[in-house]
Amino acid sequence: MSNQVIDLLQKLRQSTIKKGLQALISYHEEDSYLMRFANSAISLNTNEHLISLDFIAFDGRKKVSYSMIADPCDFESMEKGLDTLVEMLPHAQALSYDPTFPVYEKDVVDERSFDPALATLTNEERLAYFNTLAEGLESEDVKLSGIFSSGTTTTAQISTANEHTQYFRSTDAQVTAVLSSEGLKWEVNAEQSAQKKSDLDAEGLHTDLALLVKHYQEDQSVQLPVGKYTVVLGPAATAELSNIMTYYGMTGGALMQGYSFLKEEDQGKHLFSERINLVDDPREVEIYAQNADRFGMERKPFPLISEGRFQAFMWDQDSADEFGKTPTGHDVSHTSLVMDGGDKSIATLKDLLEMDREEDILYVPYIHYMNVVNPTQGMVTGSSRFGALFLKKDGSVQVPYNVRLTQKFSDFFGERVQWMSKEQVAYNVSSSYGRRDPTALKVPRFICVKEIEISHSNPSY
Amino acid sequence: MREKIKEQLDLLKAKGAHYVDARWYPREDSNFLFMWNGNLKENNASSQSGMGVRVLYNGAWGFSASSDLTNPNAIFDRAFDNARIASERVTFPIRLAEKEAIVDSFNSPNQIDPFIVGLDEKVAFLQKMDAALNQPGVVQRFSLLEFVRKQIIFMDSEGSEIEKNIIEVFPGIQAMGIDKDGGMQRRKYAPGRSGATRGWESINETDFLTNAERIVSELNQVLVADDAPNGKMSVILLNGIMFLQTHETIGHALELDRILGYELSFAGGSFVRLEDFGNLRYGSEKLTARANALEPNSPGSFGFDDDGVPAQDNLLIDKGILVGAITGRQMVEEANAKAKKQIFDGSSGANRATSFYRVPIERMTNINIDPGTDGSLEDIIADTKYGLVLDGDKSWSIGSNREQFHFACDIGWLVEDGQKKQVVKNPTYRGETLPFYNSLSAVGDESTWHVHYVENCGKGAPNQIMQLGHGIPVCRFDNVQVGE
Repeated sequence: MSNQVIDLLQKLRQSTIKKGLQALISYHEEDSYLMRFANSAISLNTNEHLISLDFIAFDGRKKVSYSMIADPCDFESMEKGLDTLVEMLPHAQALSYDPTFPVYEKDVVDERSFDPALATLTNEERLAYFNTLAEGLESEDVKLSGIFSSGTTTTAQISTANEHTQYFRSTDAQVTAVLSSEGLKWEVNAEQSAQKKSDLDAEGLHTDLALLVKHYQEDQSVQLPVGKYTVVLGPAATAELSNIMTYYGMTGGALMQGYSFLKEEDQGKHLFSERINLVDDPREVEIYAQNADRFGMERKPFPLISEGRFQAFMWDQDSADEFGKTPTGHDVSHTSLVMDGGDKSIATLKDLLEMDREEDILYVPYIHYMNVVNPTQGMVTGSSRFGALFLKKDGSVQVPYNVRLTQKFSDFFGERVQWMSKEQVAYNVSSSYGRRDPTALKVPRFICVKEIEISHSNPSY
Repeated sequence: MREKIKEQLDLLKAKGAHYVDARWYPREDSNFLFMWNGNLKENNASSQSGMGVRVLYNGAWGFSASSDLTNPNAIFDRAFDNARIASERVTFPIRLAEKEAIVDSFNSPNQIDPFIVGLDEKVAFLQKMDAALNQPGVVQRFSLLEFVRKQIIFMDSEGSEIEKNIIEVFPGIQAMGIDKDGGMQRRKYAPGRSGATRGWESINETDFLTNAERIVSELNQVLVADDAPNGKMSVILLNGIMFLQTHETIGHALELDRILGYELSFAGGSFVRLEDFGNLRYGSEKLTARANALEPNSPGSFGFDDDGVPAQDNLLIDKGILVGAITGRQMVEEANAKAKKQIFDGSSGANRATSFYRVPIERMTNINIDPGTDGSLEDIIADTKYGLVLDGDKSWSIGSNREQFHFACDIGWLVEDGQKKQVVKNPTYRGETLPFYNSLSAVGDESTWHVHYVENCGKGAPNQIMQLGHGIPVCRFDNVQVGE
């Protein structure tokens, strides 16, 4: 644990108390590295070291906040931030409910997801990884793109209530490698999520890419007729669907605001396939779990769907305060969702291609630009991308142009689920729009669902 | 600090860097207030400062940024080292289009700095909006105010030194209700950017109250409406959806980095090819689109881009023919070289970064469609046999090469035999980009043209959010697939 971080928080706490404020002080530090590839070259090699501070001041039902990206040596600016809160607080409008002020009952230190070797990964190692995964696959027409994003994220909190602190540190890596045809504009990819350096597997990505490139170069391309298909979802598609489904459907805030496709009385009801078990599991280190939320609540496995039955909504502290509910430890920047595997051992793309099949199967590894068309119906839309394959009943393979899927969550995860891989993989859904926040889900390698409707089929790549 | 930056620019040039620039943000402030159902849920002030350094070495970029300015030389050193490693894998050595060294400044036009307006006044505005929205039929409502003020010092190794002082104001309101089938519906309002300034004075309370009444009325019509019909018909897109159609299928499709394959691992590519410039019929003759970074009151106007190139007004599509792109210094050189001819005559000044800790990339400025000659909205409706008038950006999903799209809107009005009829709910439409724009059959006149701002355009890795604008008229497209 970094004494520097804790010392800074303690010092800030003293200043906050001196200024007569009751406040929560949060620290976020990122040491981020991103090597980006395009047109088979490194198009950008960047790193950022940023320290952010968030102060939330409370005065009864009044609440104001101040955030800053800070120079760690410039304590004066931090104190000015606190002065801003002092100025703002009298002018704030009281809430109609009592906001909870965080009081930490003990010190928390959670560095389970931190790996020193990944934290100190070098530029040379990032480049070597990409050279390995692309070896022999590039050509005049086929170009390499991708990102190797890795870094260390440190977060910590203290409140003016006492001297207890919470401290979390994790390392993460997100790799996306794309091979694309300049002439035909097809694109295939392979991805990896890592929490420790030993997770990195450039050879594994090379195997998947080589297989996909072979099919895209050798097999017949096809514009699929619109209609219903038996679809196998890859981990990217399953993870993104699960992530959006829980965000829009399974939080107390979405329920109370009327956006959720689920209702309060749906808790305990059998709404999904009996094969589906989905849990927010803070024990899963490889998907960057943390063991306490921002208000000091210990995080425990929280079942969302058990054998197809929707279990419960996740309540963050503010929503729980506003609507008179019990918080569930979900005042977190990311959940740690795990979908159980099934009973079919299909661990790799090669396994899927070699599997006996009694019908045509459309493999959709990735759904591009997914968006919610109608939240209260739980309807989403998006297009296939990055290596879809049409696996014919007769054992042959065709390469489909991208297709659009506009379906409900219950279509993907309801009674139409046919089988799920026993094997699970971590899929990284981290966004770098704002602060580094390593986020991943653990999902079955493949899920097969019948009668998925294709509403539009591209006439070319 | 400027002297320290100058020293480092010279030092890295002496060490072999081809080009170096630094963007120092002495201070960027923002203020966000968000009132939900009468509760002031967010009342946040924030600030940031730091520096980003970009180094071009042996044909490759390195970038580094930090909020720790105790030792700024370290940022330059890391950027140089990052470029040195990147230069080990180069396929097309980066070079930059020529530009003049510029010593200048840009101040966004504003009369009242929103950061000197008291919190009481801001909260009072939100309370008025909240009260105006708190009407029968409305079950959820929110109003928001967001202000940004930033000072940016740009210096490069070619002798440019540009200071920018920019203020942005983003207000908005939204009302939501439950329809007769249990679905959540919404209407929202954000003002157009018709004025000449963009400070606190650009928030017109009377205009907001008028529009609050309108969106509540429209919401209540949606709540009792039937679903929109399915099938092929004309769609008349109002500004609240036409801006997004333009954004997604003209703006992003014409970013030159996407066209050249620099976004393939994330946002995607473009169906446009270099040989299409000057030839491709993108749309009907009624379509003229431009990238105009000179609109006075828009976040898409910024004086100089983050290559230090002056803001410009450039044609993208001229009477339906593709003629231009959204470009920066690096991409125009690469495009011309790959095309083996001069397609682009220098940078169009659209290379921008969202903050000091992100690298500049091609971003939209104000991607506008010129007003047409087909009259007012009423004139266009009167000229329509069967279709829908659509408004509101409920959802959007676009193909990875921007070749096809699916949009859902907040509200629709049925049009039959030139008459605007009843409201319909849950309208959606989809199409393929080129056939869609070639079906453009009517473009509204100046009375229908407004600048609509976008504050959350995402692109790039690491990801960047950018603010920009779209000046757009009402447009009608024929034979569009509605529903699904």
